Amino acid sequence: MVRLGQAALLVVAAAVCAVLSNLAAGPSRRLAWIGEYPAALTVPEAPLGPTPAPAALPAASAAAAAPSAPVKDYPAHPDRPWIAITGEEAADLHSRGIPFLDARRTSVYTEGHIAGARSFPIWESSVDDDIKGLFEEGADVNAPLVVYCSGGDCEDSHMLAERLHRFGFNNALVYAGGFPDWEKRGLAVEKGPPR
Amino acid sequence: MSASRPWWLSPWLSIRAQLALGAIFVAAAAPKILDPPAFAHMVYNYRLLPGAAVNAFALLLPWVELLSGLALLLGVWRRTAAGLTVLMLLMFVGALSVNLARKNPVNCGCFDPHAKDKPRAELLADMRWTIARDAGILLLAAQVMAANRRGRNVS
Repeated sequence: MVRLGQAALLVVAAAVCAVLSNLAAGPSRRLAWIGEYPAALTVPEAPLGPTPAPAALPAASAAAAAPSAPVKDYPAHPDRPWIAITGEEAADLHSRGIPFLDARRTSVYTEGHIAGARSFPIWESSVDDDIKGLFEEGADVNAPLVVYCSGGDCEDSHMLAERLHRFGFNNALVYAGGFPDWEKRGLAVEKGPPR
Repeated sequence: MSASRPWWLSPWLSIRAQLALGAIFVAAAAPKILDPPAFAHMVYNYRLLPGAAVNAFALLLPWVELLSGLALLLGVWRRTAAGLTVLMLLMFVGALSVNLARKNPVNCGCFDPHAKDKPRAELLADMRWTIARDAGILLLAAQVMAANRRGRNVS
């Protein structure tokens, strides 16, 4: 029979090491002890794809100015944490100066990200402070925010959008194609650590 | 070797099994300890723990792996450490089997929490291979436990 006392001591020692190690870790390697993942027990039935995009609502003045490329409007959606957008919509929003938030790890962001995007790594403990920082900057909770990650099965952008929604942001737009789609389109990218 | 001891419990074999098992667990623990968020992401993908428990599990488990592995390498509390490795291996096999049964492809995260995404079919094939591999490691752990039963100290 396994010596339970020794086993318990070993697990307690492991817990002490885990606490100390997490305290000593840098911000990009630190984890909050209590996770906030509402969908942790939900098994995805199929690879995540984009949900239907919002209906095009051409703004009157913009539509008149550029009838061949109608500008979509993205009203706040407080009843839903996010809505999905296509690559074309993401490119359009980027050209209009809408903020882009990158939900991937800091190390991945550093290797390359959408030009001007800010790092909001959902798996790092700093993300809540990052979101609070948006409030401190006076960000409009009803203004569009584009969030993205690595495309495909990546859920980080959806998780970040849900976190933003819990903090009161009502207009997260998930660019489901994410960075791989952006690169494929040959759109502007940058490298380097978060500013 | 004592006459009453079968070949598969010989000290020669037991020492090697113990060192191999210890090395495997140390090697598995190190990358997870170095990057807990990456491992938490892997744990999350298994969809077996409530959201609130994912991070705590991801922080604690690698240290249990590391200390168990070190105990085996140093020859301290061998039976206890081997028992813990058996429990962890059973948990890994169970977690992979459940996800294989529900066709939820997951990266094992066993030795590399930064594993790249692969096609679903490839991930499912990898999971079957990983279960077989863990079953092999389980045999090592069972050997160490059996060889270190009271009165069968290998040292």
